[in-house]
Amino acid sequence: MDLQLSPQHLEFRDQLRAWLSTNMSRPWREEIRDPAATEDGLMNFRRAWQKKLYEAGYLGMDWPKEWGGRGAGEVEKAIFEEEMARADAPPILNTLGIGLLGPALIHHGSEEQRRRFIPPMLAGDEIWCQGFSEPGAGSDLAALRTSARIDGDHFVLNGQKIWTTFGPWADWIFVLARTDSKDRYGGISFILTKLDTPGVTVRPLRQITGESEFGEVFFEDARVPRVNLVGQIGEGWRIAMTVLAYERGAMSLAASVRFGRDLAALAAACAEYGRTSAAVREKLARLLVENEVMRANGIRTLANFADGKSPGPESSIEKIYWSEFDKRFRDTALDILGPGGQLLRTSPDARDDVDWAREFLWSRAGTIYSGSSEIQRNIISKRVLNLPQDAR
Amino acid sequence: MKFELSDDQALLRNSTRDFLTSEFPLEKSRNVMEHSKEGYDPGEWRRLAEMGYLGLVLPARVGGQGLGAVELAVVLEEMGRLCLPGPFLDVVLAASVLTAGGKHDALVGEIVAGKKIATLACHDAPYAGTAARPLAVTSGRVQGTKYFVPFAASADALVVAGSDGLALAHGPFAVTALSTIDLAQRFGDVALEHPVTPIGPLALLDRVDRLAAVGASAMLLGIMARSLEMTLEYVQTRQAFKRPIGAFQALQHRLADMLLKTESTRSAVYRAAWCLDTDDTDAALACATAKAYAGDAARLVCGETIQMHGGIGFTWELDVQLYFKRAKTLEQHYGSTEVQLERALAAAGY
Repeated sequence: MDLQLSPQHLEFRDQLRAWLSTNMSRPWREEIRDPAATEDGLMNFRRAWQKKLYEAGYLGMDWPKEWGGRGAGEVEKAIFEEEMARADAPPILNTLGIGLLGPALIHHGSEEQRRRFIPPMLAGDEIWCQGFSEPGAGSDLAALRTSARIDGDHFVLNGQKIWTTFGPWADWIFVLARTDSKDRYGGISFILTKLDTPGVTVRPLRQITGESEFGEVFFEDARVPRVNLVGQIGEGWRIAMTVLAYERGAMSLAASVRFGRDLAALAAACAEYGRTSAAVREKLARLLVENEVMRANGIRTLANFADGKSPGPESSIEKIYWSEFDKRFRDTALDILGPGGQLLRTSPDARDDVDWAREFLWSRAGTIYSGSSEIQRNIISKRVLNLPQDAR
Repeated sequence: MKFELSDDQALLRNSTRDFLTSEFPLEKSRNVMEHSKEGYDPGEWRRLAEMGYLGLVLPARVGGQGLGAVELAVVLEEMGRLCLPGPFLDVVLAASVLTAGGKHDALVGEIVAGKKIATLACHDAPYAGTAARPLAVTSGRVQGTKYFVPFAASADALVVAGSDGLALAHGPFAVTALSTIDLAQRFGDVALEHPVTPIGPLALLDRVDRLAAVGASAMLLGIMARSLEMTLEYVQTRQAFKRPIGAFQALQHRLADMLLKTESTRSAVYRAAWCLDTDDTDAALACATAKAYAGDAARLVCGETIQMHGGIGFTWELDVQLYFKRAKTLEQHYGSTEVQLERALAAAGY
């Protein structure tokens, strides 16, 4: 057992820290608090920041160099996420392209697709959104009905996707569409579609936070070239499962750094407002302990990566842990802060350390997206605990 | 970087598991728990000494192996799995204090050899929050009562926490034996009127408190891991409504949470042990975290174990009750959750 980073990884971390302190103008929380900031403006800011990171070689960390990646490993990737969190660096814009489609192309794409799509994806020149969920297919994703009929050199797409994160800002969408209506899993294909294709309409949806970070996408006889198929016809489900495993990768360490910073802000607020009762102290202490356990989970995953072990279905434990903790953390923070915790960040009297109200609302998302907590528990019971197929 | 045990540590785990399951199987321990006065088998205690377990974390000068908190955690996790009764952790902690004081190496040598038993006498009242002053030690004598002294009836010597430091008292002691829910642990109130020799300042307890937190958490981890195993076996066997009850999603999701708690405890316990061994700046926070989390987690896991076993889980006959009770003792001793939460806040500077 050894939980210390190797000298080579420490060097990578120190270089990255130095790069961030030179290249970041101000922390993200100050960026979003700027009275001149608009939702559009912040998206463009993230796009420009992503380009800067890409040019410095920090994106596509574990992807092969030949396709524009850095050729490093999962350890560097986790360190990168941790340091971005520590510096409160702005998030990149193309999270779904890099987080999901990149791995799909690397594992299942053609050489041509990799060369065509990966460099602009990393540079932030082409932003991607994910076309998986539908009004009638969420946790039961294989119930999806969007169809792709083959017509010569084209697919003709009809149907609707929903909860499409970055839909309103994206240039492209990767779509799971049905090429065979009778084969539940084997009838699904993975198709890359440009959002300005005639017959494709994107409509923003207003979220619980008031923002429109996600939207819905409609397909009405939209014609997509067949060369935009990833893998073979009917391989979409298998590709989607590979991709989702990536999405659930090691995020605990970076998350614990972010929560740790917000917890320090909460503790400072307690001191400032004289919130020192035993009831408040116990709440604070329990958040601290739960966050430190998450940090330990993250360190364990990082150490396993360094030891050459890739995470299996037990990464579902990490997904449940951080997303459920997020809800408890944000709830408790508002309890402790009192009515002021509900102030919108633009309101008089709002604190300038953390956007407590927005985080409180946003925390409701994590246990739903990327496989709800219920789906994660299904995964654990079937694939880790080997329990029988469930009866409900 | 590596979370998995090293080859030596894995060897220690495997040999400990083999040794304990052959020497201390639960059906044998249960007889000891229910019928012996001491709460453990003094004859078997020698076997632990012969195998070197008592001196695991102690330096060579007192006959120890000089290993660390990680190795101690490995051994205690295995002991937790078997719900091993007896004063193992208590004796290791007392011997660690005595070794740190540096004045009683001969006694520590006898403890390591299994010839003497010493434990810590720290409680000045039976109920938390009871106003009590620590015992005064004046002109080399201590007078007053210490409560909930682990395995007091078997102790040859006690490490007594007094108002002005730690002192060593030798038996015989006047012990009022207590009966608690946990069959694997014995406690006694000790009326002291004894000459004592100084060990050192109370600050010697700081490091030992952290070792206690890691040790108790490691035992809780073993208790949780074994409880989950027993539950998984049961839900796959027990039939209701014409199927194994493990096929019901109402249980599956709770079993998933039991695994989450158990594995998160594992991350926290071994990280804390590693921090302690490397004098990491996070050691104080990590140890408090491990114990505070493990106590809550074990209560949930052992409680769900009873619930999922149904009526049989409420019986004396089934072993799951032993784990449930042991978990409660470990949660409240070795620095209760309340104490650990305070320590965590202090370590974080909140």
